[in-house]
This record gives sequence, structure tokens and C-alpha cells, in this order.
Amino acid sequence: MNDWFPLWLSLRVATIATLIASIVGISFGYILAKARFRGRGLLEAIFTIPIVLPPTVLGYYLLTTLGVNSPIGRAWENIFGSPLVFTPTAAIIAASISALPFVVRTARASIEDVDQRLESALRVAGIPEWKVIFLVTLPVARRGLLAGVALGFARALGDFGATVMIAGNIPGRTQTLPIAVYDAVQAGNDSTARTGSLLLAGIAIIVLLAVTQLSSRRI
Amino acid sequence: MSKRVFRTLTAIVGGFGIALLSISCSTSTSSGESSRNRPQQILIAAASDLRPAFEELAWAFSSNTGINVTFSFGSSGQLREQIINGAPFDAFASANSSFVDDVIAAGKGIESTKTNYALGRIVLWSAQSETLPTSITDLIDPAYSTIAIANPQHAPYGIAAEEALRQGNVYDTVQKRLIFGENISDTFNIAKSGNATVGIIALSLAIADGRPYTLIPDNLHSPLQQAIVVTSEGSRAIAAQRWIEFMSSPTGRDIMTRYGFVVP
Repeated sequence: MNDWFPLWLSLRVATIATLIASIVGISFGYILAKARFRGRGLLEAIFTIPIVLPPTVLGYYLLTTLGVNSPIGRAWENIFGSPLVFTPTAAIIAASISALPFVVRTARASIEDVDQRLESALRVAGIPEWKVIFLVTLPVARRGLLAGVALGFARALGDFGATVMIAGNIPGRTQTLPIAVYDAVQAGNDSTARTGSLLLAGIAIIVLLAVTQLSSRRI
Repeated sequence: MSKRVFRTLTAIVGGFGIALLSISCSTSTSSGESSRNRPQQILIAAASDLRPAFEELAWAFSSNTGINVTFSFGSSGQLREQIINGAPFDAFASANSSFVDDVIAAGKGIESTKTNYALGRIVLWSAQSETLPTSITDLIDPAYSTIAIANPQHAPYGIAAEEALRQGNVYDTVQKRLIFGENISDTFNIAKSGNATVGIIALSLAIADGRPYTLIPDNLHSPLQQAIVVTSEGSRAIAAQRWIEFMSSPTGRDIMTRYGFVVP
């Protein structure tokens, strides 16, 4: 493989997307674990949709929601002067949304597992709620949270269907590694396809090993 | 919902907005710099039958004009959808003239720049020369258990392949043995990997590969009128226009003819 752009773009997109998915995902995971309100089931369903929808369908919805003919797309173009779709930013949005369910679901489960007596003890002592979250809930749940973030990263790095729909296949601009592999296969460029596939498989294995370590060991 | 939950929600939405803003700012500055300092670049969306010919053309074009060309290859139908949805291409080279008209109708292409630059041809192709049919009627033989064609829903070469099968009176017999490639490169790969006994592919791809093929008479299908149109504005549109002119220059015509395109 003589062009490393797709790898760097993929790592950049996946890192920023994981960051966004982690902030949003852990927050909503917390809300779903702790708060009881009407529409909670619906909210949970909405966060799970990206797992069950075919990525191309997700991409199609994103394209219709954010495309140049949509209100959001037009507003974006008015503010920034160029369309949102078919840019690296669009790839980040696709990857964030693909990664989000993995973070939300694991975060919710690990926050629910935190012993509530610990939290209650701090509340009784008059510690403010945000301190309880950052001193007890999140640190105790950290292994599960990190496992979710790692899974989210792997999913963000590997996204093809949604990304190709909303960001396209533009070499040197929006062509991420999975899309470069697809393009290389189409072009009959076997060596690039092989290198790209090996890289993606290697990263996936490392992430899965990390997840297993996180869920089995104390850190 | 408790106050706590509301506060968290506001923080999340705010954080998400700031993150997206900072990303979009960083990406827009980097693209701004590139247009000032680097040599001029154009981005062309092209039907995948054009890949071998266009890659050679781009090399000649760059050494001639100093303009670098990047391609995004796909099926003409998919590229048309991307352009209508705002993809930032400077030109659209389709395997079918009507897709170019769609882009113009959607207000994304400059009508005066539309050029019909070549006719495409289709061939019967097989990875093994022993199994290469000598005519389209040979396909009746059950030995051709799988026949790859491009998806006639959105790929012009697939439409032409289906027409040729109908005109050759073999469509009803072979219909159940057809498998669809997503575009013509994909179709070629299905045949090349041996996953289809035979494929109906673009002559340009067969020539680039070098193995024997059987040309399908062009009276069996409607003309594969290849057309190109400029889809951007300003200096990039001027550069894209130069690409179109280069295609009809003697060098351009020579390259296109070598890859089996019939140039006017």
C-alpha cells in the first residue's frame, strides 16, 4: 500500500467519533440507568436503532436528514459556506452514530451494576450529586465504560455502509480505510486490498483483546 | 424528569455542538490552505468502466497542464445520486447520457459543457479462455451456470447487457442464472474470481486485463453513450472544462480508442 491517507483518516475519524460517542453515550447511559421518566423505553430504542438498522439504511436517513436539500443541510451550508455531506465531518457523524449504541448499552449496564449503597452513603454525607457521579459512579463502573468505548472505537473504525452513503468515496478526502479496501477490490488492486484488510483485522483483534482484558481484570 | 437529568442533557447537547463546530472549522481551514498553496486539483466522478482509460488519461493530462486529477469511481447511477445530494465533484463522467441530463435537471451540472465523448461496447468475458462463449446464443448451454452482469437497475452496462440478452433471444433461458454486480468493475471481479462462469462486461476492462473476449454486436443494445458534464463553479470548473477538451484532443482520443471506446 503506497498511500497511507485512508489509514490516518480512519484513525482520525474513529478517534473523534469515539470521543463524541463516549461523551454522549456515557451521559445517556447514566440517564437510562438512573432516571425514571416517561419515554425512557423509547429513548433506549432510539439509541439501539443504529445496531439493528442496515448501515446503508442509516446512511440513507443521514443523507436525507443532512443532505443539501434538507433544512439542516441548508442551515449548515449557510453558516459554513459549503455542504456538510461528502466531507470528513460527515464521516465523523456517521461513525459517531454507528458507535453510539455500543457505548450507551455497555455504559448503562455497568452503571446499573454500581452498588447503590456506595452512592447513597455519599449523598447522606451531603456530597453534591455531580461529585457522587465523578467520585463513585463513574470510577466504579470504569471497566465497563472503557469496554464500551473500545467497542465503539472498533465499530467507528470499521463503518462502511453509512460512511459511503453520506461521505462518499473520495480519495484523499473522505476515503476511509474500509472504503479504500472496497475501492481497491473494485480496481483489482489486490496488494492494497490485502494490506488494508490486514490492518483493519489487526486493529479489531487488538481492540477485542483489550475488551476481554477490561472485563476480566481489575485495572 | 429530575433537574439533574435536565442539566446533564444540556451539557451533552452543548458539548456535542462544540465538538462538531471545532471539527468543521479545522477541516474547512485545511481545505482552504490546500487550494492556495498546492497545484490545482480537480475531482471527477466517473463510471467504473472508465477506470483504466481515465487513469492513463489523467497521467497525460497532469504532465500537460499541471492539474492533478482525482477520481471517485462507481456506477453512474450511484454517482448521479451523490452529485444531486451535494457531492463536491468538478465533473461527472457517466456511462449513460441520460444520467448526465438528470444532474443538469437537478441544477448541479452546467448544460453548455455536456459532451458526448464516446460510445462504450460490451463483451462476453471469462477468466478461463476454454469457457469463453463465441456468441451470445452460446449462453443457452447450461455449462454457463452463472452469468454476471451489472445491476440493470442503476448501471448502464447492466441495462445494455440485459437488452443484448433479450435481443439474442436467450434472456428467458438464462434469467435464473444471472447474478448482478454493483457496477461494471464489480461485475468484472465476479467473473475474474471465477464466481461466475462468464460475465458481460465493458470492452475497456477486458482490454485492460488482456485476456481474450467476444465482442457483442452493437446492434443488440442501445448505444452506451458516454457523456461528461462540469458540475462545479469558478476556477475548478475551468480546470474541469480543460479535462473535457483534453479528452477530445488527439492524445485523449488515442487513449480512449485504445481502451475500446468508439470516439466520434
